[in-house]
Amino acid sequence: MFHPRLAVSAFSASLLLAAAGLGATSSVASAQDVIRFGAPLPITGPLAPEAVKQQQGYDLWAEQANKAGGIDVGGKKYKVEIVYSDYQSNTPRSVQTTEQMITQDKVNFMFGPFGSGAAKAASTIAEKYKVPMLAATASSSQVYDQNYKYLFGTFTPNDTLTTPLTQLVKAKAADVKKIAILARNDLFPLAIAQEMEKSAKANGLEVVYFEKYAINTLDHSATLSQIKSLNPQWVFVTGYTNDLLLIRKQMVDQQMKAGVVTMIAGPAYQEFIESAGQSAENISSASWWHPAEQYNGKDIFGTTANFVKLFKDKYKLEPDYAHASAAVCGALFQMAIEKAGSLDRDKVRDELAKMDVVTFWGPVKFGANGQINSLEPPVFQIQAGKPVVLFPDAIKQGEFKLGVN
Amino acid sequence: MTRTNIALLVLITCVAALPLFGDAYALRLGTMACMYAIFALSWNIVGGFAGYPSFATAAFFGLGAYTTGILMNKGVPLTLSLLGSLVLCLLLAAALGAVLLRLRGHYFAIASLSLVEVFRELVNNATDLTGGGMGLNIPLVSGSSVLSDATFFFYAMWGLLLITALVVIAVSMSKLGFGLNCIRQNETASNMVGLNSTLYKAIAFGLSACFVGAAGGLYAAWVHYIDPSDVFDILYSVKPIVMALMGGLGSPLGVVCGAFVYLGLEEVVWRNYIQIHSGVLGVLIILLLLFLPHGLVSLHAGKIWRGLTGRKAKHV
Amino acid sequence: MLAIQVLINALVLGCLYACIAIGFSLVWGVLNVINLIHGSFIVLGAYLAWGAYNSLGLSPWYALLIAAPAFFVFGYLLQRLLLNRVITAPVLVTLTLTFGLDLILNNAMIYYFKADYRKLILNPPTGSISIFDVVVPVDRLIATASALALTFLLYLLLRRSKVGRAIVAVRLDRDAAVLMGVDVKSIYAIAFGLGAALAGCAGVLMALIFPISPLTSSAYLGKAFVVCVLGGLGSVSGALAGGILLALVEGVGSVYLGPAHAVTLSFVLLIIFLVVRPQGLLGRKGFE
Repeated sequence: MFHPRLAVSAFSASLLLAAAGLGATSSVASAQDVIRFGAPLPITGPLAPEAVKQQQGYDLWAEQANKAGGIDVGGKKYKVEIVYSDYQSNTPRSVQTTEQMITQDKVNFMFGPFGSGAAKAASTIAEKYKVPMLAATASSSQVYDQNYKYLFGTFTPNDTLTTPLTQLVKAKAADVKKIAILARNDLFPLAIAQEMEKSAKANGLEVVYFEKYAINTLDHSATLSQIKSLNPQWVFVTGYTNDLLLIRKQMVDQQMKAGVVTMIAGPAYQEFIESAGQSAENISSASWWHPAEQYNGKDIFGTTANFVKLFKDKYKLEPDYAHASAAVCGALFQMAIEKAGSLDRDKVRDELAKMDVVTFWGPVKFGANGQINSLEPPVFQIQAGKPVVLFPDAIKQGEFKLGVN
Repeated sequence: MTRTNIALLVLITCVAALPLFGDAYALRLGTMACMYAIFALSWNIVGGFAGYPSFATAAFFGLGAYTTGILMNKGVPLTLSLLGSLVLCLLLAAALGAVLLRLRGHYFAIASLSLVEVFRELVNNATDLTGGGMGLNIPLVSGSSVLSDATFFFYAMWGLLLITALVVIAVSMSKLGFGLNCIRQNETASNMVGLNSTLYKAIAFGLSACFVGAAGGLYAAWVHYIDPSDVFDILYSVKPIVMALMGGLGSPLGVVCGAFVYLGLEEVVWRNYIQIHSGVLGVLIILLLLFLPHGLVSLHAGKIWRGLTGRKAKHV
Repeated sequence: MLAIQVLINALVLGCLYACIAIGFSLVWGVLNVINLIHGSFIVLGAYLAWGAYNSLGLSPWYALLIAAPAFFVFGYLLQRLLLNRVITAPVLVTLTLTFGLDLILNNAMIYYFKADYRKLILNPPTGSISIFDVVVPVDRLIATASALALTFLLYLLLRRSKVGRAIVAVRLDRDAAVLMGVDVKSIYAIAFGLGAALAGCAGVLMALIFPISPLTSSAYLGKAFVVCVLGGLGSVSGALAGGILLALVEGVGSVYLGPAHAVTLSFVLLIIFLVVRPQGLLGRKGFE
């Protein structure tokens, strides 16, 4: 027999369970002299590889900050503590997590979740509670169009990647007339492909192919055979590392050759270069940061070279733009807090808004909408198994090479 | 009305008191709890009453979310948009149900699972209408203070839960409920005694989809941003089944309890095991299936009560 | 020329799809269990090949020899200790159980291997052969040939061996098999073990071709579903037919409608098949 009381006890049991969960996390919070930063990460689900990168960046910053005694707030040192949580690559869950961190875990400041979609959704919560949020990986201008006061981001808009690429190709490879664009049907990859299409058309290139592929696509052979039959001199593919590895492999399988092959965002990642091996040669790409840059920053990391060294010492791998952006977000918070001399969220927010400083990441100055507008993203190419910067001229390491086999 | 149904209504009424002593985050959890309960109750119509293992919950949740999202972007007010989601899901599900529910067992399970994939890809590819992989932004509804916003969506979801529960109770007491029961026990025999099983199953599928669709719409308005891989997540199909198995198949009170307990477990596991929460959830599911195969309903309440209080239960 | 190239691509890919699906089909057909852990088994097999090649220097062919018995034992034990307890329960229970198992295995893989993608790169690379303008990658050819060989082995096993006949008997009529003295529980465990072994071997072969990550398991599982329904449940030749049909539809669909529609098309086809021809292309009541 089912008893009505069971219903009540089941409900109260679940409340108890939830309360137990709350207790377990909030007990840590009571420690004194700590600044807590909330960092929602997609630890499980399709974006899981990105979570690792962000976490490594945040952790490196926290370690450095604490090694130096902590963050100086009006003469008093505070230790850095980062509260992580897994939002399962699910955007609504990232919103929930953000709210939970602000209301339950009592974090002082927030890092944004991964990517433009989740950052945009979560920024609504940060705005409601007036908590400054630094988004390390949100580039789409729609994220910042909302004109939120408390949201700041370290990626320039997508067209700052595609425009220099197009100009470089036009200048160095005059015979490139036809471009084929293949994009993953997903927020960032699709947005950047659309920018590329605009930029190509604006520069007089003929777009002979523009298609998107579904997220779980296992095989691209038919698509690539079709692109091959159209003979484009420039093949532009967007996606995440797995897609790009697979597509690159299948291009080799199909003996596809082109003057220029550009892939975003894979080649910025060391694991793409390693896994693609020989086939990565002469692939071009663009990203928001590159370890070859030489900035002399005022932040805790100082020079770009120092950041790269610290990162390599800790993780035994070459940092990419995702690692660096996460770390710089921490460093920016630190500078803003120290300058404000207070943990008051509004004061820190104001310091972020008027920030104008050079960091290992590059010059940082946020526009009125909160998106960085001082950065010049580098264009680079894989040559002899290493990324070589081609643009901007100030940090140029080599010449653009044509021909991808 | 049976005693368990009264208990169900009492339970739902109790939940309504949450805003009296909860902050915005507790309200968020409460809203999720109501949404899960809507899933479980809706799934129970097809899965519990009629005995068809449906995996279509995510399909109609996503469809409802996108319908409301698109309508609201065109300036339609929330209530009308939700109604749009509800009606669309009802009609579409009834039509699909008439075709798909001819399949039995695994075949039906797979067909309903494929609906999720098909709907997701259709939404994904209709970039002009839905934004495709770039997702869809939904205009803010009230946009006032944090707490009033949270309270608004909590009560909206709670209201939807109440309606769902009333409809499910009505179904269970009506000829439709009786017919579905017959279909579960022996469909061939029911057909022979003149029961229009196709019609019954189509109605049941429609009813099981429409509230899920409306919940999807409400959810979209609540989170302001949806994208196909979020709202067409296959987990939304699996969760109600686990909840129903937890609470006890077929019993509306049981599945609602299952939904609440499931949410509680999910929350605790997720908070305390950042890296391995899905694995822990898997272990819990397996233990549940092995040791409590008929759900919470199978536990004798008196025994638990005695166990909890240490005294002899008085019979109520 | 494009048409021929697309056709050849589809034939090769179709055999790989069949290889992905065959273990899944066996388990479904014999045990009447939809084995949601199948995709994760494939990924685990791929990790095995990757690990054997990168840390021990063993070529994937040896990895096949390790994978087959290891996965068989793993699957056998899983069935004996867990699944057999609920095998008579309704569809829903077994399905949810394998879902729980999949959560555990997948989470464990994310935990140990991290989620980032790996790639098994054969050194020297195998390259491609081209006849006129049609190109066929050698590694895919090898994987296809191995997939066909595995399929044929399974066919022989079911046809010729005593265990195989017992499996077929259980599939055809469980109650009659019991009366004939077949130990159904152990046959179930053997069939599940075989299914796991086939998944593990498929994983080793897929490692040659696709990037490896726990996140790909759902894609493999999705293909297995479609292939089984298209080809017909629980038949070896049906899996081949289903695999090739699926690859053809995807290939032609992505050329004429765009690659984004290929996936939609395959699932629409699946629903149509379920409704119109649930026994699949080559499905029969019998199993072989």
